[in-house]
Amino acid sequence: MKRMFALSVACVLLATGCVTTGSGMQRAVTRAKDKVSPALVHIRPVKEVFSGGKREEISVVGSGFIISPDGYVVTNEHVAGESTLVRCVLSNKEEVDAEVIGTDRYTDLALLKLVTDSKDLPSIHFAPPGKVEAGQVVLALGSPHGLARSVSMGIVSVTDRYLGDREEMVSPYNTWIQTDAAINPGNSGGPLVNLKGDVVGVNARRLGGADNVGFAIPAATAIHVIDQLREKGRVQRSWLGLTVQETTSKTDDPNQKGVVIADVDPLSPATDAGVRPGDILLSVNGKPTDARYVEDLPDVRRLMADLPVGSQVKLQIARGNEQIEIPLTTVERDDLTGEEVEFPEWGFTATDLTPTIIRRAQLASNQGVYISGTQVGSVAANSGLVESDVVLMFDGAVVENLKAFREMYAQRVESKQRLILLQVKRGALTRFVLVKQEESTEAQTELPQQDGGVQDEE
Amino acid sequence: MRSKSLAVFLAWCVAGACADAQDLPASLAKSAFDKVSPAVCVVNYSSEVTNPSNGRKSRRNTRALGLLVSPAGLVMAHGHMQVEDSEPFSIKVSVGEGDAEKEYDAKLLKKPEDVNICFVQIENAPGVTFPFLKFAQQDLALGEPLLILGLLGDTLDFNRSVIVRRVGSILEKPRTTYCLDERLLFGYVGGPAVNARGEAVGVVGFDLSSSEGGDLYVRSGHPLVYQTELFAKYIETPPTTTETATDTDGAFLGVFTQPLTDDLAEYWGLPQDGGVVVGTIIPGSPADVAGLKMGDIVTRFNDVPVKAKLDREVLAFTKLVREAGAGATVPLRVLREGESLDLNVTLTERPKSARDAGEFEDTVFGLTVRELTTDVRILLNLPADVQGVIVRSVKSGSWADLAELGPGVIILNFGGQPIASLDDFKAAAEKTAQEKPGEVAVFCRVGARSGFFRIQPRWENGTAAP
Repeated sequence: MKRMFALSVACVLLATGCVTTGSGMQRAVTRAKDKVSPALVHIRPVKEVFSGGKREEISVVGSGFIISPDGYVVTNEHVAGESTLVRCVLSNKEEVDAEVIGTDRYTDLALLKLVTDSKDLPSIHFAPPGKVEAGQVVLALGSPHGLARSVSMGIVSVTDRYLGDREEMVSPYNTWIQTDAAINPGNSGGPLVNLKGDVVGVNARRLGGADNVGFAIPAATAIHVIDQLREKGRVQRSWLGLTVQETTSKTDDPNQKGVVIADVDPLSPATDAGVRPGDILLSVNGKPTDARYVEDLPDVRRLMADLPVGSQVKLQIARGNEQIEIPLTTVERDDLTGEEVEFPEWGFTATDLTPTIIRRAQLASNQGVYISGTQVGSVAANSGLVESDVVLMFDGAVVENLKAFREMYAQRVESKQRLILLQVKRGALTRFVLVKQEESTEAQTELPQQDGGVQDEE
Repeated sequence: MRSKSLAVFLAWCVAGACADAQDLPASLAKSAFDKVSPAVCVVNYSSEVTNPSNGRKSRRNTRALGLLVSPAGLVMAHGHMQVEDSEPFSIKVSVGEGDAEKEYDAKLLKKPEDVNICFVQIENAPGVTFPFLKFAQQDLALGEPLLILGLLGDTLDFNRSVIVRRVGSILEKPRTTYCLDERLLFGYVGGPAVNARGEAVGVVGFDLSSSEGGDLYVRSGHPLVYQTELFAKYIETPPTTTETATDTDGAFLGVFTQPLTDDLAEYWGLPQDGGVVVGTIIPGSPADVAGLKMGDIVTRFNDVPVKAKLDREVLAFTKLVREAGAGATVPLRVLREGESLDLNVTLTERPKSARDAGEFEDTVFGLTVRELTTDVRILLNLPADVQGVIVRSVKSGSWADLAELGPGVIILNFGGQPIASLDDFKAAAEKTAQEKPGEVAVFCRVGARSGFFRIQPRWENGTAAP
């Protein structure tokens, strides 16, 4: 009884809501939708994924939007990255393939170019950065659960939501626009637009288990990244090896300037230059690096990332009661994950080492390859190689990187050498893994013979 | 009346079982039962279990089968009584059945490292001579029947019970281990195993200690007989109490090894005689000091040949090291790049393990920390230069909890004071509590990374954690 009452109240509220928003709102929504819809792209990439020690291709569905009459399309990296084929369906249901111009894992953005000679495709534009505010009505367009040409409506809930890292889901260089416009799997890469039909964000994430808590990459970040992707096919960033934390993590003192250096990566320019965890970074090349709250961190990180790669920079550091200036030379930031390769004969996949892996495995150098998966019953698994092992030596030779490993591997597969000795680091321990090459091929040929044996008995 | 009918019932049970086990006469089963069952008792205790992920403690009452092994009231129980994150207290031993049943207070003695058995000593029983079980050291044969004594559940008044099992399998390496042919109900775990001659030859359980390859047995799920030789020394000389214990079990070499399989021997062009291949060497350990190198193959230790070819055969080497005695200088023969090389190594005492690590509970900030022991360092892959204490638990609602400090976080610096030991932390926490600052910056390591946590105490609300 009580419940019915509650429901009827809700209905009334919804009805009155419609009345108060009025027909002006309805017209604005329709106008914005009509402007954006023609530029909407339904994207169906075939992606390369590595799992369980194997390389596979899977088909996924995402969204995107055309930003130029000649067919540049913006979408998410997690939609179009590592794809071998990108098929797009335009608003007129025409199917067009697209070429991946560039992707950026750190911001989850990708730029595609439709393979078409057309120069007058419908396109939409980014709204001027910073013009979005909480409470503003927005529309999310895309293909939720693969349902193309869908529109949902909501408001901007928060303009600068900070999301911490979760494994490979990182966003160090941007905060997020949070919206209650329904965003579902498949909406990824689609536009979040204002009532003028201009793009305020690129829909990319949602909070699982919550109702309508979705997140879009702000236009400012998208513009910055897309421009570089169009020019160079990638985003080049500087790396110093610093992990920064807001000053309130250490003190609530409002006079505390700068940003706390929480961690310094070994094997990084910052370590070489003598920067220490606990130092306060006050400025870089004279530009202040103030971050009192977590929401301020992406700006500081971007300031450092945007330094020209290989340039000499000056860090102003407060250490205890003294201020020191530390010069260092930046290096280029590696991609978030290393290149991944399948080794089918032995049945495993491996990647190049990244600073994250080096850190986690406490490696003394950046030499080696990381085992990202092994297939059950494979030569690698049977030999005792396991996921997250780091291979340091191959038959007594140092494994410099994935490329060197591939060469040694190919040579051994070719020569059919029976035993190959790997030295691996597994957690804190180092041990030997002896790979027996012929074993599994024998097993494979034996099995049919056993079947034959059963038939003989019959 | 009730116990008489039960005895009849039991006798019937035994007879029934003997129909299967023809070489075990019912009369013998009955006499063995009569002889052994008075020594079977019930260990009632409370257990405080700490959830390692959030530090929350919960208590429960539980029990174990006890076995009186001395007239002075020494009681043996299965090792699950005391495990990581679970501390028994309020221990009471109930001896005898029915009207003769009597309960005594008891204290837990230090758990041995090499066998998964707990010892409990009855207290405050002056002048009482307890019935007790004497064990015989006997080899067992495959298929040999064994009587296992146990307890029925609490709803059946813990009546003593007997079942028959057979030795289903004998593992020869690393040392003889007898597996039973069928699974056991919980009430028989820790119960005595009696052979056809009426001799108690051991107790049954599921896992030997981890140094004996405990995991391998637990995973198999087969109950084992812990033979008399594994625990006789502890009946002879009972362990000390937990509180006053000093850790002197076994010697320490400081290497992680793997067996020299025939394939590895072939690869290196060595004779296929087995041995242990040295992988990781703990920095500063006796092995490190003696100059052992990764890839060395130990073929003799303390003049005993080392011939491991399988993983579980490495345990024999581990045992050799442990039993060589801390402080002893022993000869070691290794193969290095095909050449035989003799080294001497001076063994030390084994470094403290997490189980014996010192803990400190800070009631002001509401957290319990533990010293960093070698095993934890290896488990977490901590570089040697990381010094600190590890958060074991955080009281919910405390200042530490509000600062989002959690279990597993390693505290490196507390309020500007570097922390290298438990004493450092104690001193830092006490100093901070006296100075009552408005905020305390705590520099920590979480996983592979470091960062700050800020504790904001509210001293005006008193110094006790909320």
